[in-house]
Amino acid sequence: MMLVWKLLRKHISLLQVGGFFLANLLGMLIVLLALQFYCDVRPVFSQDEGLINSDYLIVSKRITALGGSSAFSEAEIRDLQEQRFTKSVGAFTASQYRVSCSMGIDGVANFGTQMYFEAVPDRFVDTQSSRWKFAEGDTQIPIILPRSYLAIYNFGFAQSRSLPKISEGVVSMVDMTVVLKGEGREGRMTGKVIGFSNRLNTVLVPQSFIDWSNGEYAPDADAAPTRLIVEVGNPTDDAIAHYIQAKGYDIDEDKLDAGKTTYFLRVVSGVVMGVGLLISVLSFYILMLSIYLLVQKNSAKLQNLLLIGYSPARVSLPYQLLTVALNAFVLLLALGLLWLIRSYYMEMLWQLFPTMDEAAVWPALALGGLLFVVVSVLNVLAVRRKVMNIWNRKL
Amino acid sequence: MNNIELKQTLPEVFASRSTIESDIWRQDVTLERGKLYLVEASSGTGKSSLCSYIIGYRQDYQGLIRFDGRDARSFGVGEWTRIRQRHLSHLFQELRLFPELTAMENVEIKNRLTGFKPRKDIEQWFEVLGIADKMNAKVGLMSFGQQQRVALMRALAQPFDFLLADEPVSHLDEENARVMGELMMEEARRQGAGVIVTSIGKHFTLDYDRIFRL
Repeated sequence: MMLVWKLLRKHISLLQVGGFFLANLLGMLIVLLALQFYCDVRPVFSQDEGLINSDYLIVSKRITALGGSSAFSEAEIRDLQEQRFTKSVGAFTASQYRVSCSMGIDGVANFGTQMYFEAVPDRFVDTQSSRWKFAEGDTQIPIILPRSYLAIYNFGFAQSRSLPKISEGVVSMVDMTVVLKGEGREGRMTGKVIGFSNRLNTVLVPQSFIDWSNGEYAPDADAAPTRLIVEVGNPTDDAIAHYIQAKGYDIDEDKLDAGKTTYFLRVVSGVVMGVGLLISVLSFYILMLSIYLLVQKNSAKLQNLLLIGYSPARVSLPYQLLTVALNAFVLLLALGLLWLIRSYYMEMLWQLFPTMDEAAVWPALALGGLLFVVVSVLNVLAVRRKVMNIWNRKL
Repeated sequence: MNNIELKQTLPEVFASRSTIESDIWRQDVTLERGKLYLVEASSGTGKSSLCSYIIGYRQDYQGLIRFDGRDARSFGVGEWTRIRQRHLSHLFQELRLFPELTAMENVEIKNRLTGFKPRKDIEQWFEVLGIADKMNAKVGLMSFGQQQRVALMRALAQPFDFLLADEPVSHLDEENARVMGELMMEEARRQGAGVIVTSIGKHFTLDYDRIFRL
């Protein structure tokens, strides 16, 4: 075997092998990285809601150019309640007074805004009841924020003003100052963010707080609900869609935004993986061409070996081992680099999304293994074919 | 393998010729194990083709070549590999040595495949053939006569039923040719093998069982 190798290693071009090595490494790394990044980032966009059960639908009236009331009348609510698919209906109650809120981060920057509160009956909110409660006399209001608010701050505002990004965990630790104004009175309270929701595009507070504060600061206002939260038996029931359409209502498409983002993430990852695969395929061609060239240059020797009794399998073996070893080395190096790069970006992701679950790495491992096996098998077959061509004197 | 039969064998390139005067082409010839044959040929009579057909390198012939009654055309890759390793040794006219390997390595590359001879036997051959000092020299740097002796050793480093020696002594003087012939016959006798020597003039002075004119 050593003598055969000594013979056949002649004409191996380091430049070609190196070229293949780099190209294959790059291709493999891009493919694996794209897949791993997709797996790592996806949970961020499809984070489990937790707070609002996904079997709840949020129904509003379609806003038209003609105006008209966007509030639901009692009759309409009753009608919805009586539908076969409905289990229970809850109304969103909005604050009828002025609310402003400010938040200081380490005393460095102040982030203040006018805002409003809404509440749904407590039974629709899945959170520890000890944290989701308000009684008259309390000075702290539990709040659930839309997750998108934090994204707006982190990716838009903080980015452009060079302010620190804040995680959900940090927000939950910060006390917000909430000022309530109405009826010539002003109240100052603290707001405590206890959770984030993808499904509710509103600042949610406990029903008991809204009832108390509306009575306190806007006792005369009529608070007809503009949105309803509906618990249904089967969210995929066709009857729901028909009813909603017939009535001209809108349903907040569940996780639509996240769905879109995930879709784009998938498209981008797919494109990047495609590029990686293309590079891999090209590198495969480099290797094949260089092996063909090698076999061609050594064809007289291969021919002689076959004529003195070496089998085509035995003559092919050195080149096959060479390619498989190269592929294996590329795979290991790619996985090593992937691990390095991943630990770098995971750190950044964790800063942004501290509650994020760590995704599995086996899809990337499996894909890397699959690429290795496919490329190696093709290499082995190609070498064998070339040697058989020599056997059959076709070269 | 006990016999090689050539039945009405003819290279395809000769097919258009109207008259073929040959002891082999278009004849029925049986070569038997244990016998010594000389095939005398002039240039262009198909000597190299004959060797290529028997060793399975080419198949562009009419008629039949049979090993122990089996059509050689029916052999697959594995069968030919086995035949070349165990039954049929070929000393090529063009030698087919590897110039970048040493003389010893050229013999070893075959011997390691077959595991046939202990290394000291091979070293002794080098002594007998008078090129012991060239054992570790690159074959590419040796004279053709010296290379012929290396090629013979390589051909002998395997078990065989037939040895096909294609112009084995074309570049050797009388004395070296005699030594080489003796070594070859000694090994062939030890294995009870048949030997087919071809020549276009110069050949071993041996006790041939039969001489063919190609």
